[in-house]
Amino acid sequence: MHTQDTPPVLLLIDDSPSIHRLLAFKLKNEGIEFLSAFSGPEGVELAAANKPSLILLDLAMPDVDGFTSLLQLKNDSRTINIPVIVVSGTSSPEDKVRAFELGAMDFVTKPFDVHELRARISSALRIHRLMSMLEKRAQIDGLTGLWNRAHFNDRLAAELSCSRRNGSTMSLVVCDLDHFKRVNDTFGHPAGDAVLQGFAATLNAELRSYDIACRYGGEEFAIILPDAAAPQAHMICERIRAAIEARRWPNYPDIRATASFGVTDKGIDGSDAPAAWVEAADKCLYEAKQTGRNRVVAFSGPTERPRLAKAG
Amino acid sequence: MIDPDMCPGPIRSQFASDEEMRELVRMFVDEMPARIAALRDAWDASHSKQIESLAHQLKGAAAGYGFAIVGDAAAELESALRSSEHDLSSVRAQFDALVDLCSRAAC
Repeated sequence: MHTQDTPPVLLLIDDSPSIHRLLAFKLKNEGIEFLSAFSGPEGVELAAANKPSLILLDLAMPDVDGFTSLLQLKNDSRTINIPVIVVSGTSSPEDKVRAFELGAMDFVTKPFDVHELRARISSALRIHRLMSMLEKRAQIDGLTGLWNRAHFNDRLAAELSCSRRNGSTMSLVVCDLDHFKRVNDTFGHPAGDAVLQGFAATLNAELRSYDIACRYGGEEFAIILPDAAAPQAHMICERIRAAIEARRWPNYPDIRATASFGVTDKGIDGSDAPAAWVEAADKCLYEAKQTGRNRVVAFSGPTERPRLAKAG
Repeated sequence: MIDPDMCPGPIRSQFASDEEMRELVRMFVDEMPARIAALRDAWDASHSKQIESLAHQLKGAAAGYGFAIVGDAAAELESALRSSEHDLSSVRAQFDALVDLCSRAAC
């Protein structure tokens, strides 16, 4: 899995520049990145574009009030899960109830005590972190730490539409460990698990940071390679193929594992549908299996027959 | 109501001796003449919404810079404006008190 730890981003929406300066100063040692918006509409736009970890929203602002902005934030799929702490100059119970009903996580009255606000911010950030972790966990395969099939389905559709929009190329790889059942039968299931984990580690080591490696099911894996045409994807797969062949398992010195790969940079019949891409890659994987395993086969388009690649 | 004469002379920030806060407080104080001018301009133009907004901002910010009394005066002006339905003539005292306190804010 390729994730990077970035500092949490706090978006402050408040019309008073003095508050921005004060807060930026008070939070400067907290390892928080600070984003500023001076009106509701500006804040809503920044939130959608930057997906901050937390929003501090002033209720009383000229033109568009905080409630309106809160409603917009909570009605947009891009911002609905970002926790919002409402900051208000008034502490009327009606305002508090309304803020919570609209989806605020917390309510702070101005003038705020900086220590208290800092504590509330770190509590909200902690909850946000846990929530995103749970959300991610639901898309991670427990054994290998790779993305799972649900995530693969989401990402393949998203990456395909992204590459279509940008006019960029991308590749899809489907790969499968050869004779995996034999490993399980000969060395036992813990050994099989170790091989799957070793294969995942090999993928992580050989792939680029922005490639998306998924466990598709059983001993089958799928990899999305943005900005790579089939020849480049073929090269990367060839590297993985050689690395897994050379890999040894300290606890199971007799295990030798190999894998077969199907690579495509287009869908079957030129279709853009995710299923057509999977079908094209599957076809090549099937051919790799049929022609001796431990090899990479790339799809060469709707007009030609899939051609056998030179595997070592 | 806050009586500015209770504490004549310059009003020092509660954080005046806080090494870290000093620069920040100085900036806040340096901006006071501009705030006072904005308050007076709004008053002369009978722009009560603008006065309310300026008072609201000061209410939220002043205490954070160690000028709690300025924040309190701003809160009083804001609430007087609201309860009088923005009748400027009835909030003259609160307005003057706020401007006076602002003009005496010092580092």
